[in-house]
Amino acid sequence: MITAREAGLVACQRCGQVHPQGTPVCVRCEGRLQSRDTQSIQRVWAWLIAGMIAYIPANIYPMLLTNTLVEHSESTIIGGAVDLAHHGSWGIAFIVFFASVVIPIGKFLAIIYLALSVQNRSISNPHGRHKAYELVEFIGRWSMIDVFVVAILSALVQLNTVATINPGIAAVSFAISVIFTMLSALSFDSRLIWDTDRT
Amino acid sequence: MTDTKSTGPAPLDVRPVKRPVLQRLSLVWLVPILALAISLGAAWQSYTDRGTLITISFENAAGVTAGETVIKYRDVTVGTVETVEFAPGLGDVLVHARVDKTVAPYLDDDAQFWVVRPDVSVRGITGLDTVLSGVYIEGNWDSDADVAQYNFVGLETPILTRAGERGTRIVLRTKDGGSVSAGAPILHKGLEVGYLEAPELNFDGTEVIVSAFIQSPYDKRITSSTRFWDTSGFSLSFGASGVSLDVNSIASLIEGGIAFDTVVSGGTPIEDGQIFSIFYDEQTARDSLFSDPDAETLKVAVLFEESVSGLTVGSEVRFQGIRVGVVDAINAIIVGEGDSAQVRLQAVLAIEPVRLGMPEGSTTDDAAALLSDFVSRGLRARMVTGNILSGTLMVELVQVDDALPAIMALTTGPYPVIPTTESNISDVAATAEGVLARINALPVEELMNGAIDLMDSIERLANDDNTRAAPQSLVALLDESRALVASQDVQAVPKDLRGVINELNGIVSRVTELDLVGDIDTAVTTATQAANNIEEATRNLPEITANIEALTAKANALELDALVVSVNSTLASIDALIASDDTKDLPRSLGGALDEMRIFLAEVREGGAIENVNAALASANEAARAIEEAVAGLPELSARANGLVSQTQAVIESYGERSRFNAETLSTLRDIQSAADALTSLARTIQRNPSSLLTGR
Repeated sequence: MITAREAGLVACQRCGQVHPQGTPVCVRCEGRLQSRDTQSIQRVWAWLIAGMIAYIPANIYPMLLTNTLVEHSESTIIGGAVDLAHHGSWGIAFIVFFASVVIPIGKFLAIIYLALSVQNRSISNPHGRHKAYELVEFIGRWSMIDVFVVAILSALVQLNTVATINPGIAAVSFAISVIFTMLSALSFDSRLIWDTDRT
Repeated sequence: MTDTKSTGPAPLDVRPVKRPVLQRLSLVWLVPILALAISLGAAWQSYTDRGTLITISFENAAGVTAGETVIKYRDVTVGTVETVEFAPGLGDVLVHARVDKTVAPYLDDDAQFWVVRPDVSVRGITGLDTVLSGVYIEGNWDSDADVAQYNFVGLETPILTRAGERGTRIVLRTKDGGSVSAGAPILHKGLEVGYLEAPELNFDGTEVIVSAFIQSPYDKRITSSTRFWDTSGFSLSFGASGVSLDVNSIASLIEGGIAFDTVVSGGTPIEDGQIFSIFYDEQTARDSLFSDPDAETLKVAVLFEESVSGLTVGSEVRFQGIRVGVVDAINAIIVGEGDSAQVRLQAVLAIEPVRLGMPEGSTTDDAAALLSDFVSRGLRARMVTGNILSGTLMVELVQVDDALPAIMALTTGPYPVIPTTESNISDVAATAEGVLARINALPVEELMNGAIDLMDSIERLANDDNTRAAPQSLVALLDESRALVASQDVQAVPKDLRGVINELNGIVSRVTELDLVGDIDTAVTTATQAANNIEEATRNLPEITANIEALTAKANALELDALVVSVNSTLASIDALIASDDTKDLPRSLGGALDEMRIFLAEVREGGAIENVNAALASANEAARAIEEAVAGLPELSARANGLVSQTQAVIESYGERSRFNAETLSTLRDIQSAADALTSLARTIQRNPSSLLTGR
């Protein structure tokens, strides 16, 4: 399989129009043409690190602030999952744990692996890496499931003094972390995987 | 130049110029840097803002939850409990908490912590909010930052006085802690102006001291001449104005309470921690104003041989009527040794030297010397009745003139001993009991019954128509007789007839004057005599009858002269009967008897001699019986009088109806008959109820 770069061409990232190499702007959509995004890896790392930093308070600080008439409770992500498990709701505990811990951390690891492999011009299993990249891209949006749950609960349970649920700092941090991670994944120029294939 | 290849420019090593690292760096890197900076900043912030860790140890930390229980200062949250654990040895519960850095410097050694729980007391419900929200730890400390402490011992009960409250803290002391309890109100003129804290024993266990807090501005009312007294419960007193029940607030009824007042001006302002005594009641407190309650007292002992029941700790000690001290203790001690050992009751008297009239600043030794001097001159102690109703006793120091010589030993034994003299205890209980027993023994019932019967009888007699009619009939008879005498026809009647009329007149006036109805009220003893006299007088009646019979015989002969003579002699006989001293005496002696009876009854009414009443009644009964016997003869008398009258009537009738004289004489005789009838009915009444003559109305 030959790449566009090897054929002396450059494809528009937006509309798919193919131009000779060196063409600065897409004739059809006037998008900027770039055979390879040289700063891709930088941006990937930058967003990734930002996302990981944001992930730390998301786990330390409480996710939900629950105020009822008799009780005031704060629960972190892990704490909430453990509580659920203690109450016997293994299924829900697993979903929470999976969506809030396994997926984000898996994404981090996947992106790190991809970025490192591109930088090191690794030649091993390019197809698998493509699959991994697709997976990261696909799964990224589901990481927000926790944030959605918190947002919905906060919106629904506002009964003044009787019971209120408010999002904690962790909810915001978690949302930011997920956004940064998605941006990181988006910044990754998957064409770089091809180049490493050739050399 | 064949080297065409050389004509072209040599292939250039076209490489993109490596831009400087800085230029190659993506701006995106700013994002993680920013994130990192924010994170680190936040972390640093929260680290530096992290409160100071303190440890409070509680005996009981019920409800304190790690991470949830907060620490409040004046209802503002200043910290949170982090962990709760046991102290080594499981003795206490250690509560580790973080308090705000701003507050931590003030947590010096005066900081106090306690757990706020719901509390229901007579003064209200507190801490109700903790029922729902869970307990919290409340702290209290002043606003002076001293050496910061990190370990505290929690209180088991909330303190009552907040450090920020304005007021004055004083210390009260009392012998009896039963009337003070933590939180009990302090009242001033009925207003609650402060409260007591928890009472505790002083260092040697002889007194209860309790710290109290008087809120501003009432604390300005307290000076060194302020007196505090116990108002707990209620007071019941009775005096000339009746029974008075005095109850303060419900809270003070249950929890006890202390009231104060500043009665005299001129006291000096007080400072925090001033010590006051609590007096037993308001009166004592006010009395104490004129003596220093804290003055040193002289303790002397008095040994009593008799029972000291009624003498209590606190009983007064009087010296010639003036209170000089109180009884401080009462106990039994053994005097002597071996066979001669005796148990004596020792009363320890606390005597205030100032009250003995000694100058201010006199020591107890001075007072002891003074008392010793007095004792050598005859001063003795004795018990006297303090309150005749309650039987309480007090100790009196009296001067006994003929006392056996004695001295007051100042050095032997724990206290100098004042010799005693005979106690003057009027045992009101025993006396009253004796009086009551004697009253009880009186035959009051019988006496009353007898008196009631007597009264009834006399009333019946007095109300009897016959009794009333008797004098009236008599009066009518005499009136008739007078009319007869005054008539023209009788003018010629000889003088003795007129004398008879005069006698009758005298009787009429006497009887009228005596008001027989009133006098019969009280007739008695001489009634017997009178009756006897009547009986005696009656004996003459047969002669009268005979005379009248003779008269009748002469009248039958229709001889006017003889008739006149006969009538004359008849009337003379009647005159003699009426004029006889006995008959005349009858009303007088009846009156005398009645007077005696009235005096007697007056005496009875005055109740002067209750015992005599019985005897009197007995003799009255006897008298009544005698009257009864005497009166038994009256019907006979009446019958004879009746006979006389009918015979006289027959004489007059036979004389004819021609002259007015006859008519008058007839009506006179009829009246005499009705008088005799009245006498009969009187006799009947007296017979029926002899004792009725005794009554006074």
